[in-house]
Amino acid sequence: MRNVLAALRRLFHAVLLGLVGAGIVHIVVLLLVPEFSERDAWSRLSMASDLYRMNRLDAEAGGAPVVKSVDPLFYAAACRFDLEEGMVRIKAPGNVPFWSVSVYDRNGHNIYSFNDHTASDGKLDAVVLTPAQMIDVRKDLPEDLQGAIFVEAPIDEGIFVIRSFVPDDSWKPIVSRFLDQSSCELQDF
Amino acid sequence: MLKNAFLMLLSLAIAIGGGGASVWYALKIQDGVGAIRIGQWTAFPDIGTPAADPYSKARVAREGVLALGRAEGLSFVAENDAAGDQLKRECSYRIEGGFPTARFWTLYAADQSLGVVETGKPRLAALQSYEVLRQADNSVTISVGHHPMPGNWLLTNGSGRMYFVLTFYDTPIASSTGLSDVSLPRIVKAGCDA
Repeated sequence: MRNVLAALRRLFHAVLLGLVGAGIVHIVVLLLVPEFSERDAWSRLSMASDLYRMNRLDAEAGGAPVVKSVDPLFYAAACRFDLEEGMVRIKAPGNVPFWSVSVYDRNGHNIYSFNDHTASDGKLDAVVLTPAQMIDVRKDLPEDLQGAIFVEAPIDEGIFVIRSFVPDDSWKPIVSRFLDQSSCELQDF
Repeated sequence: MLKNAFLMLLSLAIAIGGGGASVWYALKIQDGVGAIRIGQWTAFPDIGTPAADPYSKARVAREGVLALGRAEGLSFVAENDAAGDQLKRECSYRIEGGFPTARFWTLYAADQSLGVVETGKPRLAALQSYEVLRQADNSVTISVGHHPMPGNWLLTNGSGRMYFVLTFYDTPIASSTGLSDVSLPRIVKAGCDA
């Protein structure tokens, strides 16, 4: 009898230890998921295209969408950049009913966003740069960057996303052209 | 000796199995930490920001989401109607009431992965605020179902679970301060195909 009780006690201890361990594993796994995920937005985009290449996110461009859950009434495009190589400039010509822009870091966290009401005369012309690059640029602002929106981001790798509203079918070609003609370039300075 | 080894293995199995499974489950359920509920609608204003909780961060990394920024908009998801029943694609619903201030909003019927419902027709299962008819008091009534209906009609198709995704763009409610006194439209079940 005593042997059975002792064995049960040890079994109980083992289960209790296991549950405490499960709590620890839960926390560790949760914190490690973002580090090791191969399904995050950056990894998906890097399979689809190179750095500094605009890539359509909606299914309109053919094939399954690269990054899911964009509004069906929106078209979107994204490019990846690396600020260690220099600042990056994003431009898109033309007028569309609504566009908005987000800058994400390597882990897909939204760092900065703005929309067409922020831009002067509604034109999309933005420069993403680090605070250190910003200091350099401030000293002597080049003529053609005067109208641009400067996004200071304390990151190195990141993702730039343009979303644009398609109110109805007649806007599809116009919004498509807006995104296809958008550019994402390393800017020399 | 053998008994000790067995107990140690048991502890390890519970720790690793239980820990892993609980994370998987926590990331799978739609609800979660950091949610804001208004009526039947749920939003995650913090998702995809550096201020998000670890569960949202893990979900963002696992699903490859690029969440809307504060200056872009805010999405609400509904999975139940006003009576508390799950939304079904074979049922018809009425979405009625006032909408908060925004430049415009879009509403679409979604499947489990929050992608838009395939209708099999040129008409999308989506509506936006520029094309809806309004009542005299500026409220909107939208009929949802398989069959054409007068007024505003959101087409759905198929069967199974359904979600409504309502997104406000360029809206002051995205800057969380305004979220407390926002009211969103009600979802009322109108009937079901047998």
